[in-house]
Amino acid sequence: MFKDLDPILHSQLRLAIISLLIGVKEAEFNYFKEKTNATAGNLSVQITKLKEAGYIEVVKQYKDNYPQTICKITPKGRRAFEEYVQDLQTYLKSRK
Amino acid sequence: MQNENFSPEDSIRVIQAMIEKTKSTVADNSYYFLLWGWLVFIGCIGQFVLKVLVQYPYHYLIWNITFIGIIFSIYHGVKERGHKKAKTYVSESLDNLWIAIVVSYILFDFAFVRFGWEGCYTFYMMLYALGCFVTGRVLKFYPLIWGAIGSWCLALISTFTPIDYNILLCGLAILISYIIPGHLLKRQYRKLNMHV
Repeated sequence: MFKDLDPILHSQLRLAIISLLIGVKEAEFNYFKEKTNATAGNLSVQITKLKEAGYIEVVKQYKDNYPQTICKITPKGRRAFEEYVQDLQTYLKSRK
Repeated sequence: MQNENFSPEDSIRVIQAMIEKTKSTVADNSYYFLLWGWLVFIGCIGQFVLKVLVQYPYHYLIWNITFIGIIFSIYHGVKERGHKKAKTYVSESLDNLWIAIVVSYILFDFAFVRFGWEGCYTFYMMLYALGCFVTGRVLKFYPLIWGAIGSWCLALISTFTPIDYNILLCGLAILISYIIPGHLLKRQYRKLNMHV
C-alpha cells in the first residue's frame, strides 16, 4: 500500500533545503539562496516551516557585524528525509 | 522554485540535483597543495644546487622560503573562512588531518635539531604520502593516491641513497604528490563548478 508522502518535505523548496543539508554539516542562509535560486522571502518562510517541524535547527548570530543565519539538520529531520526517500522508492516501484 | 503539481518524480529530481550541488561544496583544496608543493620543490632544488653544486655552507637558509608559505596560508585561511557558506564533514575531517600533519612536521623538526638531519627527507616524504593518501581516499581523487604511493616508494629508496641525493628525491616526491595532483585537483574543481 502506498503511504502518503510527508507533506512537510513534499514541497520543492523545503525538499531542496533538506537535501542540501543532508550533504553538509551546516550551511548559511546565502548558501541555500545560491544553490536553489529561490527568493530570500520564500526561503525564509520555508526554513521557518522546517524549523517548526523540528527538522532543522536554526541559529542566528552575527559575523563581522552582519547577521548570519545558520541551518543544521536535526536527527528528526534526517529520519524524516530517509523515510521520505523510502516512501518515494515504494511509490516508484508500485508504478512499474 | 515553484511548488505546483510537484510529483514524486520531481522529488527525485530535486534530491539528485541538490546532492549534486553539494559536491561542489567541497572546498578547492588545491591552493595549499600548490603553494606548499612549489615552495618545497623550489627549496629542494635550491638546497641541492647550493649544497652540492655551489657548496655554499649556509645552504639550509633556502628553507626560509617556508615563511612565505606560512604567511600566505594564514592569509588564505582567514579569507576563506569569511567566504565559506557551508561546512561539510569532508572538509572538516581533512582540516583536522592536515592540522595533525603540520604539528607532526614541527615536532619532527625539533627532533631533527636534537638528533641530526640525516634522515629528515625520508620522514618528510612519509608525511607527504600520509596526507595525500588519506585526502585522496576521502575525495576519491586517484592522482593524490598514486602520488602518495610514489612518495612512499621514494621514502623507501631514500634509505639506500646518499643524503645529498635524498634532497632531490624529496623534490620528486613533492612533484608527484602535491604539484601534479594539486593542478589536476584545481582543474577538476573548476570543471565541477562550471557544471553546477
